[in-house]
Amino acid sequence: MTLSKSMSWTVGILATLAIAGIVHILVILSIPKNVTHSAYAKTADFGADFQFNILSEVLPGQEPLPALDPAMTHAVCRFQIEEGPVQFTASLPVPFWSIGLFDVTGQIIYSLNNRTAGSETLSMLLLSPAQLSILRENPPEDLEDLIVIETEKQEGFAILRAFVSHPTELADTKAALQNAACDLLD
Amino acid sequence: MNQQWQPTGEENLYRSDLPRVLQSSRPAPLRSVLTVVITLIIGSLIGIVSAFLLIERERPLLPLTIGPWEAYPEAGTSEADPYSVAIYTRGALIPLASGEGLMLTAHTDSEGRRLDPTCTYSVSGQTPTARFWTLSATDENGKLQETLAGRTFVTSSGLLRREDGSFDITASASPYPGNWLPLPRYARSSDGMILTLRLYDAPVTTGAALSGATMPEISRVFCQ
Repeated sequence: MTLSKSMSWTVGILATLAIAGIVHILVILSIPKNVTHSAYAKTADFGADFQFNILSEVLPGQEPLPALDPAMTHAVCRFQIEEGPVQFTASLPVPFWSIGLFDVTGQIIYSLNNRTAGSETLSMLLLSPAQLSILRENPPEDLEDLIVIETEKQEGFAILRAFVSHPTELADTKAALQNAACDLLD
Repeated sequence: MNQQWQPTGEENLYRSDLPRVLQSSRPAPLRSVLTVVITLIIGSLIGIVSAFLLIERERPLLPLTIGPWEAYPEAGTSEADPYSVAIYTRGALIPLASGEGLMLTAHTDSEGRRLDPTCTYSVSGQTPTARFWTLSATDENGKLQETLAGRTFVTSSGLLRREDGSFDITASASPYPGNWLPLPRYARSSDGMILTLRLYDAPVTTGAALSGATMPEISRVFCQ
């Protein structure tokens, strides 16, 4: 069978478009798996894992991460849950703070702010279902005061945003962020 | 002699007086392989380039719009579409989680004209209920630019308001009395501009509540 000239062009173009479509979808779906550019990868530059690293002020030309609010002071902490339950503690004397927990691809695990936390201090525990069942058998004393979050995710990062309403409070806020902890539960 | 070994029915395989659909072309393996390879290469190129262009926009494909403002409350959740997931992951963009707040961006003024950093704008009206909010200006790529004042944002906490709670912010490169949002001082029209409003601790973080929300108007006052 021989196709006419216009028919073979049509088939050629359809085949090209079909391949283009498949490649397009594959590229879009593979980007989140190839995470060398992700926020999780970039947060490694600010310091060691399992501690809150304060980001430099969000100023023109020297933004530590893209699209951060210039009015906020940020601290990030990277964690790997397979090493153990991660405990987040902070006491921030600012009018507003919030914490967001994200996984490797930037998907939100959990978030809260100082109003939903119900107090000025943050006390939160992130663990895997297996770790939770171990913890239930031998609960720590302050378990009632902890916000316990169960996740299937293996690793991720937390970002703590604190609003400084006046520059004079900046030093105090930074000191408070410095004291914020994100470490393995012992 | 050979005639009897010729498979029957194929002696006229390449006859040219048959209708076109019944004709068989002579095999041309090299040309066929080349056609397939070129099809594959062109197809892959189109696929990669189209994916790249969509990702580099750094703007969700299907945002929720309220006047000139766009929001993407699904960012970072499992409901986010694959394009936004790719955009956020690739750009290392950390979304505001629903428990933190909501980010809205404007690329145009209320009349639909592209925002221009050399113009003076008035951002006025009211925002949805939130504990506090910040408004900042960046270039088209979301980068902050140097301003005369040094700061690149205004917050709701130090704002002058009318009796009904509404406000009027003047966004301009040169200083302005009242509520002044400093715009980039060395910007050109071609740099473009994005206004970003971040509502913190806002109840309207879900799409349904947001579509009926009142957002400030962005009107162009004058251009230099």
